[in-house]
Amino acid sequence: MIFLSLFLSIDWHQLLLQSVVGFNRYVLYYFLTLNTVYLLLFIVSLFEVVRFVRRTFFSDYQQILKSEMTWPISIIVPAHNEERGIVETVRSLLQLNYGEFEVLVVNDGSKDNTLERLVRAFDLRKTDRIYRRTLPTARVRGIYASLEVPNLVVVDKEQGGKSDALNTGINLSRYPLFCSVDADSVIEENALLRVVKPFMEHPEEMVAVGGIVRIVNGCEVRDGRVVRISLPRKALPVFQVVEYLRAFLSGRIGWSVLRSLLIISGAFGLYKKSDVVAVGGYDSFTDTEDLELVVKLHEHLKKQKTKYRIVFVPDPVCWTEVPERFKTLLLQRNRWHRGMLQSFSRHWRMLLNPRYGVIGTVALPYFLLFEVLGPFVEVLGYLSVILAYFLGILNMEFFLLFLLVAIFYGVFLSIAAVLLEEISFRRYPAWEDLARLIWYAVWENLGFRQLLALFKVKAFFDFILRRRRWGEMGHRGFQPAAPVAYR
Amino acid sequence: MSEILIRALWILGGVLFFLSIYIIANKALRETTERRVAWMRGELEPKVLEYLNGKGERLGAVLPPLGRTERRVVEEVLLDNGRFLKGNARDRITAACEDLGYVRDRTRQLKSSRWWRRAEAAEKLGTMKSPKATAELIALMRDEMPEVRMRAARALGQLETRSSVKPLIGTLQDPNRWSALRIADILAGMGPEAADELVESFATLPAKARVAAVDCLGRVKSHRAAGLLIKLLSDPDRDLRARAAHSLGLIGDPNFTPDLQRALKDPAWPVRAMAAKALGKLGRPEAVAPLFDLLKDREWWVRINAAEGLRSMGDRGLAALVNAIDSEDRYARHAAVATLEGAGVLDQYVEKLVSADEQEREAALTLIRKIVAAERTDHLMQAASRHAQEKVREQLARLLAPGDVKVQVKA
Repeated sequence: MIFLSLFLSIDWHQLLLQSVVGFNRYVLYYFLTLNTVYLLLFIVSLFEVVRFVRRTFFSDYQQILKSEMTWPISIIVPAHNEERGIVETVRSLLQLNYGEFEVLVVNDGSKDNTLERLVRAFDLRKTDRIYRRTLPTARVRGIYASLEVPNLVVVDKEQGGKSDALNTGINLSRYPLFCSVDADSVIEENALLRVVKPFMEHPEEMVAVGGIVRIVNGCEVRDGRVVRISLPRKALPVFQVVEYLRAFLSGRIGWSVLRSLLIISGAFGLYKKSDVVAVGGYDSFTDTEDLELVVKLHEHLKKQKTKYRIVFVPDPVCWTEVPERFKTLLLQRNRWHRGMLQSFSRHWRMLLNPRYGVIGTVALPYFLLFEVLGPFVEVLGYLSVILAYFLGILNMEFFLLFLLVAIFYGVFLSIAAVLLEEISFRRYPAWEDLARLIWYAVWENLGFRQLLALFKVKAFFDFILRRRRWGEMGHRGFQPAAPVAYR
Repeated sequence: MSEILIRALWILGGVLFFLSIYIIANKALRETTERRVAWMRGELEPKVLEYLNGKGERLGAVLPPLGRTERRVVEEVLLDNGRFLKGNARDRITAACEDLGYVRDRTRQLKSSRWWRRAEAAEKLGTMKSPKATAELIALMRDEMPEVRMRAARALGQLETRSSVKPLIGTLQDPNRWSALRIADILAGMGPEAADELVESFATLPAKARVAAVDCLGRVKSHRAAGLLIKLLSDPDRDLRARAAHSLGLIGDPNFTPDLQRALKDPAWPVRAMAAKALGKLGRPEAVAPLFDLLKDREWWVRINAAEGLRSMGDRGLAALVNAIDSEDRYARHAAVATLEGAGVLDQYVEKLVSADEQEREAALTLIRKIVAAERTDHLMQAASRHAQEKVREQLARLLAPGDVKVQVKA
């Protein structure tokens, strides 16, 4: 009875008004905090990029190539239904400029002709190679070696997923460092020399090094090499070019400087094998095995109180294909976000735990506040504006000004990423490409970013409902691109 | 509040505008400068090359009066050529750099407050090879920036003066391991003089520098370092023991065999691997048996080095590898067969299956039967289906048939 009278006594209209106003105020503060963090990361990255470029001028990669002390590397390429591009990928890897390395392609139960194409292209034969099964994996059906290329090994195994394929590669790898490379990617000729340098400088401490991932759509690839770099013609991949520039040049460099790098892209990362084996290798528990591995490494090494480094270097480039259709993009982003939530839920004990240093006290809270909750705040923010409009409490002038500031700020961060690219690596030499990058940096904030927020909200519900769907990327394979004429 | 937002909008709009203009202007300026420099180079380079080919006593006399950018272009041409030219032309480059004041300018630049300017100056002075800058470069070895120390070290290495050796050895303790290795490279390039100095100062070097020093001693192949290296085989540091074993192999004196044989029993696998490699290089018959035992090692690298060591020992080593195919240990069998395959020995035996010499035929049959029994038939199966001679294919098919394997013989 008391509850009923209490319930009736509440002024629901007033409460709703106050909630909407309160939430909008929260959105304002959230926006300010988020963008301050982004700005700080950008400033840190700017200094680091300039320092890095200056250091790169004196990098002596030829000495690394010639030195007997350079660590040999096993390149592991998990491949599932990759018949369209696998031969090109392997060719590009075999051409890498590096002293001693082996390429291990793990055919993870492909249902297409991935294995047959490799056998034919490289004259493979089945071998009796023995290896130690350090990490448990699905059954290996056969190991193939090349008659022509002594440093190529192809492993045929039952399907167990990408992480299982990578673990199989680790079991078979001979060298102390391994590099994970996606089968749909092209690694630049000197990328291994560049990515191994941190290991040469700090061999005792270095655990993992990530390289930059750039978008190959629109570029011309011949014989496994990117021979002409240009932006894609379609809008969706160009939006992703801007997004990748921002994520890698601003985000990852910044986190790397703060010694809190949580993501090394699965497309291209170099790891010390002994440390990865010590944490049990890749995990099939999550949909983003790359993120999970790095978080696991941080947790393990911090617990061991070991002095270690996990860093990002912005110049070894891995070129990869990105979705050109919204549906594929949705599936990809859904998987990424779901994977992040899965890893987060597994390692939540690290959150705000000073035992884990900057990772526990800064990086993980950032991920919770801005990566996990961010999309909700953004989507709910738009809804609350609509609600406020219908409730008649929307200050239209304030709203429009706020919206403009938010958009301008987003544009600023994207243009800043273009600036970082232009003052440092300058991979897009054409004037047209630069103009298009600036143009898309503006337009990316008017729809594309909001769409990504919606994808992430959907991914959150998929995570709660334990829906797991990988989604096919639908790669086109590396065909020489048609000449591009920009108008 | 709206006021603040309007201000923020103005600021952001302004920043955006200037950022975009800056990006465009930066690119335009860069491209224009590059084009201008390329044009100037096209004009000046032939004159510089004429001088390098012996025309005129002084480069300054051959060239027209130079502006600031032109001076930079001439310096660039001289340095580009200085990286690969030798002999008289090389000396003329040094003389030109001294004459035109490049050595003086770059020596002054060594005192710049910006580290990359100091590094650049050191790098260029190294290519100029002018001994006038030695003292300043030695002083630069104490620079706070590793990149600068590295460049100074390289420049000193290029000058190849005795006074450079000591400061270079001092820099071996650089906390950046790669820098230390690079300095060891430079020292190794300086020859026995550097090695003698290294042996003398080894005891005073910190632990980290010692690995690089040991590496350097091996590459110089200094016999004077032998005693020190042998002693280091019992050092508590695993890396030092491994590098010492490697260096003894590089020096290549057969008298090191007993010490390296002891190192084969080291608890650390990198030491065993390096000792096996070194023994392979020494090639003494008494090392065959211990290397044979090492084929069973749990570490791939040790096994493969032991097998490679045996392979490089000639007939005795090959015989040991053939014997290892009977081993009960599957790792040893694998390493032996893989090495015989890699060395092309297995293919030679396959050829001998149809030899006119009965002894050769018998030896080939015995080896192939062993491999079939050891279940390492992949290479033979391949040969059975692809060999050029039909008789060999048939013979191999017969040998492989009794087992579980099925071979399709090419028609």
